Amino acid sequence: MSWNRVSVVGAGLIKMGELFDQSYEQMARGAFDAAIASVDHGMDPKDIDAVFVATQRGTLWGQEGIGGNTVPSALGLNGVACTRIENACPSGSDAFRVGCMAVASGLHDVVLVIGVEKMRDKSSEEGLLARAAGGHPVYTRGESAPVLFAPFATRHMHDFGTTKEMLASVAVKNHHNGKLDPYAHFQYEVTVEQVLNAPEVCSPLGLLDCCPQTDGAAAVLITTPERAADYTAKPVQVAGIGIATDHPYLHEKDNFVGMSATVGASSRAYEMANLGPTDMDMAEVHDCFTITEILDIEDLGFFEKGKGGIASLEGETALDGSIPINTSGGLLAKGHPIGATGIAQLTECWWQLREEAGDRQVKLRSGNALQHNVGGRGSGVSVVNILTIAE
Amino acid sequence: MPEQTGILLRPLTEEGRTVAISGVGVAAPSLLLPVASINESWGRKGGRGQLAVCRSDEDTLTLAVAAAMRALHAGELSPERVGGLWWGTTRSPFAEGPAWSYVAAMLRLDSDCDGSILSGSPHSGIEALLAAVDAMKSGRVDNALVVTSDALIPALGSTHETACGSGAAAWLLSREGPAQLISTASSWEPVLDRYRGSTEVETRDAYDGRLFRDEIFLPIVSRTALALGAPTDTRWSTADPDGRLGSLAAKELSDDPPVSLGTRRQLGDTASAAAMLGASAALDEPGPLAIIGYGGGRATSILIEVDQPVAGAGRVEECLDKGQPATYTQVLRARGQLKPSGESVEMAVPPGSAMFVRDEREVLGLLGARCVECNTVNLPPSVHPSCPGCGGTKFDIQRLPTTGVVQTYVINQTMPAPFEAPLPLVVVDLSDGSRVQLQGADDGSDLAVGSEVELVPRRYTIERGVPVYGWKVRTLGDSQ
Repeated sequence: MSWNRVSVVGAGLIKMGELFDQSYEQMARGAFDAAIASVDHGMDPKDIDAVFVATQRGTLWGQEGIGGNTVPSALGLNGVACTRIENACPSGSDAFRVGCMAVASGLHDVVLVIGVEKMRDKSSEEGLLARAAGGHPVYTRGESAPVLFAPFATRHMHDFGTTKEMLASVAVKNHHNGKLDPYAHFQYEVTVEQVLNAPEVCSPLGLLDCCPQTDGAAAVLITTPERAADYTAKPVQVAGIGIATDHPYLHEKDNFVGMSATVGASSRAYEMANLGPTDMDMAEVHDCFTITEILDIEDLGFFEKGKGGIASLEGETALDGSIPINTSGGLLAKGHPIGATGIAQLTECWWQLREEAGDRQVKLRSGNALQHNVGGRGSGVSVVNILTIAE
Repeated sequence: MPEQTGILLRPLTEEGRTVAISGVGVAAPSLLLPVASINESWGRKGGRGQLAVCRSDEDTLTLAVAAAMRALHAGELSPERVGGLWWGTTRSPFAEGPAWSYVAAMLRLDSDCDGSILSGSPHSGIEALLAAVDAMKSGRVDNALVVTSDALIPALGSTHETACGSGAAAWLLSREGPAQLISTASSWEPVLDRYRGSTEVETRDAYDGRLFRDEIFLPIVSRTALALGAPTDTRWSTADPDGRLGSLAAKELSDDPPVSLGTRRQLGDTASAAAMLGASAALDEPGPLAIIGYGGGRATSILIEVDQPVAGAGRVEECLDKGQPATYTQVLRARGQLKPSGESVEMAVPPGSAMFVRDEREVLGLLGARCVECNTVNLPPSVHPSCPGCGGTKFDIQRLPTTGVVQTYVINQTMPAPFEAPLPLVVVDLSDGSRVQLQGADDGSDLAVGSEVELVPRRYTIERGVPVYGWKVRTLGDSQ
């Protein structure tokens, strides 16, 4: 595959949380300002000639059926090209992919990819939980978010002896990392006992096995390597992009111990980057639930199938482990404002590769980082992006 | 007032036109409510016995389907060979709507199947049986599936509330069989008795108990029963609105208590299902047997001669012995008489959507599409133009089996109204190799990976006033 390279020259986000005092537009503005401020040599917002905005749930804040035009107006970029991307939990990482396509094709030069999500303007009952009444009126009735992932935990525990302690170790590690990340929703540690003793949400998952509902926004600025030189001496390059789909109904899965969308997306991204899992210095992966991270680190090739639980328990995924996972705190601690999540993960990868991650900085060996989301009905969409500091 | 005691008496079996019972099935709902707990809630003392009550996902329709499936299974008749379905229920779940068609679809009957739904009073169960017999006698059908079921909503604090049970019985009728229908007698009076107005939800008793007993129930039932001229060793199954009237009526007819006493004590008053339900276990023993249905001022008796045990009759007791104790509050919530405040979450797809027109038969009938290339079965067929296994586009539509094993499951504890926690969701590998995801039918506490389960008919929700039906998963008991 031959493609024109894309560089990331700026990235930023706002402090995640229950941002009752900020509108969707104000959150977008905050992330945009942070991204512009991160550009080493500065950037005139007028340089931006296209915006791709990821928002998964306009229904949560009264913007049913909106297009992309809300965001340019809020950013003072009225008139600019803008498209809204909605592709389930990977909406943000897919918007990044589409932005890269726009730059690589030569159609646009400087592109803003921004993810914004208002999760808390509606109550939980009327928000994500209401999803349980969506989809097929019988075959998916009652399928709220944990129902898409908890069946994999049941089966992974049955087939591989994965324990609740192993699941809990993911939450403990991500909360630890989140405490080191000033942008994380949760800024506190949890213990294995606290995770195990938390109220059950959806067996076998308890409250601390689940990510919170978080408001947030994040933005990255991408351009051609040629234009990148105007903005920074330390650009980060896009090395690989992969997206894959899987059937939307759980009953169409051929197994409940892995997610084929993740396997498909990562193998495409590795092939495009000509890199493999051992070449990654860190990864930001989709840990909407503790079990999801265990599935991810297996499906992304960091550990053998069935070994993700024990690897987590033994600290292999900690900041000083063999492959640090979710250094930002992940969805479990940083939060999961759906459209913003992928962009926020890319921002963490960008900081890590530029060695700007402060107390949670990992040791760079190869200079590559991986970002991953999986989600949607039947966890049927996954996107993997690989960033690098290699030329 | 002129004395009006006329009786309509007629034979049911004539030369060359016999009608026999060849299979029996019964069903009871999941909850059992002690009568004393109702009384206690209203500041009254005492109260004996228990009442069978539907969970929020059970109703007269799901009970009817469950009983009918067992009758077909017992009678070894495949659904596509059923000539007609006659369903008697005091109150259909649709005041106007496709109640009969939904039952037919869940039973996977063919589109040319005959039949009707009879309702309006607890007499409707007997009316369904006679309508089926008439269709057979006329030669329109060679066999008939008769289903009677009820699960009424009683008025709070009423005497009916302490009697109102629920259950279902289904009899498969054939030309030949181990039990023959012999004769029937009917009579009526224009009286109110149990009553629900057209704008009311709850059923109540209209009369003083002794007025009903002395002037209405006993006179009508007695003359109708005596008119049969049944042998002295006849066993009687009687309607029994209050739990004593059945025995009182039987006293005039036999030295023994009515055979229906057992189901009455177990389930409460099952209204239109009472007469057939009460006699179902007795079809296991040879000898004369008579049933008396009562409701809406009408009584009908039917004499049956049992030559040999009827298939399924020996399993009646175990099928009815499934209820779990429930509190009065649970029952009120299950019946929709105790509701949470605020709006509940609406389905993404309204009941009027074309989606239901496209796939209702597939969902109710549990139909799958088997790929002719790779044998993968997927469902519902209308959303699968391409095989998830191989991408093939040619399929055989099949009736899926209703047993399988658990592939994986969860129990969701955090659900907003109208959902109720705990809510199990189960992925099942059915016995033909197909896979389906459905809700669990109870609290899920006995689920495990690999455990054997069955699919049972259930009401998923009432959406914008419309009941939505489908199948749920339950750990396999021995009542299949």
